[in-house]
Amino acid sequence: MIGPIFRWIKGFVKPPQSARLDLSRRQLLASGAAGIGAAYLFHTHPLGRQRSYNPDLVRPPGALAEEEFLSKCTRCGECMKVCPTNGIHPAAFEAGLEGLWTPVLKMTIGYCEYECTLCTQVCPTGAIRALTVAEKQRVKIGLAYFDRNRCLPYAYARTCIVCEEHCPTPKKAIWFEEAQVTTPAGEKVTVKQPRVDPELCIGCGICVNKCVIKGQPAVLVSSVGESRNPANGLLLNSGGPYGG
Amino acid sequence: MARKQRTSRLVWLRRGVQGVFLLLFLYLFLETEYHPINLAGAHVKLFFQLDPLAMLTAWLASHAVAAGMLLSLATLAVTLVFGRWFCGWICPFGTLNNLCTSLRGARAKAKLETGGYGGWQKAKYYVLVVFLGGALFGVNAAGWLDPFSFFFRSMTTAVYPVLNDAVSSLFGWLYDANPGIGPVRVTAVSEPIYEILRRHFLAVEQPHYVGNVLIGFLFGAVIALNFVRPRFWCRYICPLGALLGIIGKNPVVRLNKSAEACNNCRLCLADCQGGANTPDAGQWKPAECFYCFNCRSDCPTEAISVGFGTQPDSHEKTAVVK
Amino acid sequence: MRELNRRQFFASAVLLPAVGKLQAATPAMAIAHYKAPPTAADGIAEEARRLTRRAVDALGGMRRFVSKGQVVWVKPNIGWDRRPEQAACTNPDVVAAVVEMCFQAGAKKVMVSDRPCNSPQRTFPRSGIQAAAEKAGAECYFMDERKFRKMAIQGGKVIKEWEVYTEVVEADLLINVPIVKCHDLSKATLGMKNLMGVTAGPRDRFHQDINNAVADLAGFIKPHLVVMDAVRVLAANGPVGGNLADVRRKDIVVAGVDQVAVDAFGATLLGLKPTEVGIVSEAHARGLGNMNFRALSPLQLEV
Repeated sequence: MIGPIFRWIKGFVKPPQSARLDLSRRQLLASGAAGIGAAYLFHTHPLGRQRSYNPDLVRPPGALAEEEFLSKCTRCGECMKVCPTNGIHPAAFEAGLEGLWTPVLKMTIGYCEYECTLCTQVCPTGAIRALTVAEKQRVKIGLAYFDRNRCLPYAYARTCIVCEEHCPTPKKAIWFEEAQVTTPAGEKVTVKQPRVDPELCIGCGICVNKCVIKGQPAVLVSSVGESRNPANGLLLNSGGPYGG
Repeated sequence: MARKQRTSRLVWLRRGVQGVFLLLFLYLFLETEYHPINLAGAHVKLFFQLDPLAMLTAWLASHAVAAGMLLSLATLAVTLVFGRWFCGWICPFGTLNNLCTSLRGARAKAKLETGGYGGWQKAKYYVLVVFLGGALFGVNAAGWLDPFSFFFRSMTTAVYPVLNDAVSSLFGWLYDANPGIGPVRVTAVSEPIYEILRRHFLAVEQPHYVGNVLIGFLFGAVIALNFVRPRFWCRYICPLGALLGIIGKNPVVRLNKSAEACNNCRLCLADCQGGANTPDAGQWKPAECFYCFNCRSDCPTEAISVGFGTQPDSHEKTAVVK
Repeated sequence: MRELNRRQFFASAVLLPAVGKLQAATPAMAIAHYKAPPTAADGIAEEARRLTRRAVDALGGMRRFVSKGQVVWVKPNIGWDRRPEQAACTNPDVVAAVVEMCFQAGAKKVMVSDRPCNSPQRTFPRSGIQAAAEKAGAECYFMDERKFRKMAIQGGKVIKEWEVYTEVVEADLLINVPIVKCHDLSKATLGMKNLMGVTAGPRDRFHQDINNAVADLAGFIKPHLVVMDAVRVLAANGPVGGNLADVRRKDIVVAGVDQVAVDAFGATLLGLKPTEVGIVSEAHARGLGNMNFRALSPLQLEV
């Protein structure tokens, strides 16, 4: 019994010529060096080591802090498949080359459904941490902001508020100020001008998704204020379990 | 050349098992959606949890591993003892590449030239080492070329949306055009079919993914490469295959070529999937073998057999054919 | 139910519906209110069913609207990814009761659907409506995108043509089953606004002139019957809601043939005057119905 096991182990260490992998030591070292070199190049990119942040890099709720996230994400696409709104997409260069094909939210196509935690359930590596619905609803993935040059009641003297209608937070994160504006015909009308409450907004992006101005919506979400990266936070002392 | 053999039962068994795992992968893919208790079900990530490459690089890069991924240790253990059965029998991407290789339908002579081991098969080991090097220093990019990630990501962003759009367009056209003769309309048949497809296979809303063109193109290219060499991805690119090759270098299940029975026809090379066979009878590279048993099935003199055993020592002579 | 001999049975089966149809003074509206509202979930489910049945029965029963062998389309609010307690979608038991009554009245097929604002794969199951409707025998599945057709909206002031679901206009009968909710733009979202769910296209543009747009739609798609769910209403942060504190129990179901009157009543449940809801007053001005619902002598039922 011992003999064959010994021979078996020896077979790994000193195989006969026919069974050798025959890898060149030099090429192995070169490959390893290439991998290590690439790693350091990624680390020293402006997005590396969380030196700076890309506002377009909005990640799914439950995603870990960026450096840790990238070290875990296996770019498998499970979260992209399960997202019910088609909101999660493979990144191009939003997270640098290192983040190629990692998940990123594209609000013009989909959004983060308020009561959904599907992406957190299917991630095999835990790069997106499993969350309960209650936990997920306290996570901010970004912050919405209005482009007043495009938003109808600011720029075109018309009321719209589709964004507010869809805002899913229990107390809506979009509120109004009524304002008197002049129409092109010279009439004075009262319109409802939307604003974002940064304490309430979780960055889900349904406002962006439903904005009637397609292509370049009048409301956008940027990653600032995201719970997962405290250094990319926004508000001082806004409370909440994730701070920021 | 020698007469055409009847395919052996072992090969049929292998094909059956491959089919089951490929269908399982596709089933889990379709299941990756909402089910009425806000769950997708943990089972959909099964293949990734069996994947030791994903586990290893995630562990090296982040110094922690999701509990479910420890299932992949089973894959490693089985490979360590028994060899690269995973590649030959289980890996769904391998099966897909296998299917496309079969579509190639090359003549026996052409297959003989490309079937056996080639030096370029070493490339995948260097690919693996690049990823391992990166992982050691925090970068987990192995997912780009991990077969399950590659397959699932391509399915999600490119293949499935294309199929969904094509099928929906077809049935949309049939619905609008309503072709037929007199009272006999195609929609009488196509509408019930569409309803079944809609409820079980098609997406609720047509998916659109950013980056789909590049991902789809790469997927198509990898599949097409099977026309250049059999199971191109598995032989030359796959870092998981490379990892399993290293681990499974010395399996206890071995293919034996009987020097006496062998007539040097080399038919065993024609359908070799992994490129483990070489023109020298008696030489077999276990690190490349998928245990597909095509060689055993093709051999006209039944010179190839499967058995338990350990590797001969390096100083022992390997059987040489006359 | 007392035993009927054969003669009495034939008399009631043949004569009564005929008589029912001849009655000129058939009620236009019935408001059913639950006397002792329960707190347990199955109690509320029972309440919703009983209220719905009593309200429709008070109008003459579903037989007044559904004939044997007809195809009925039921339009609840399945718009939002919320649970029934959150009162963002129609109460599933109200929908189930409507479906059951249609079948009992002899309907051949009952279809229940909506084109929601959130993903249908979540709204249909989580609202409870898909399971309840299917259990009652209806077909309840996501709308088929191929079946939208651009239609001329007769009488439309701001909408001249729009994509509408063909199954809805082709059905023999349309029953609108909305829920009462507040809305920051239109003050309230009731039955007429609920009809937006049968449209496709860029319908979010309606909001720029919501009163006219919805009135246009309601004038084109005139439901034969409206069954309004006010078992729970969403009193704040509508139409999506989410916070259970914004939900109020009104324990009422209204059935009516005048969609303006029913909406007007629904507005009052939110503390609004019908004139304050622009959609209602615009629809009234166009003669689509009467927002002074009291003029219709609605039957008030205590259940």
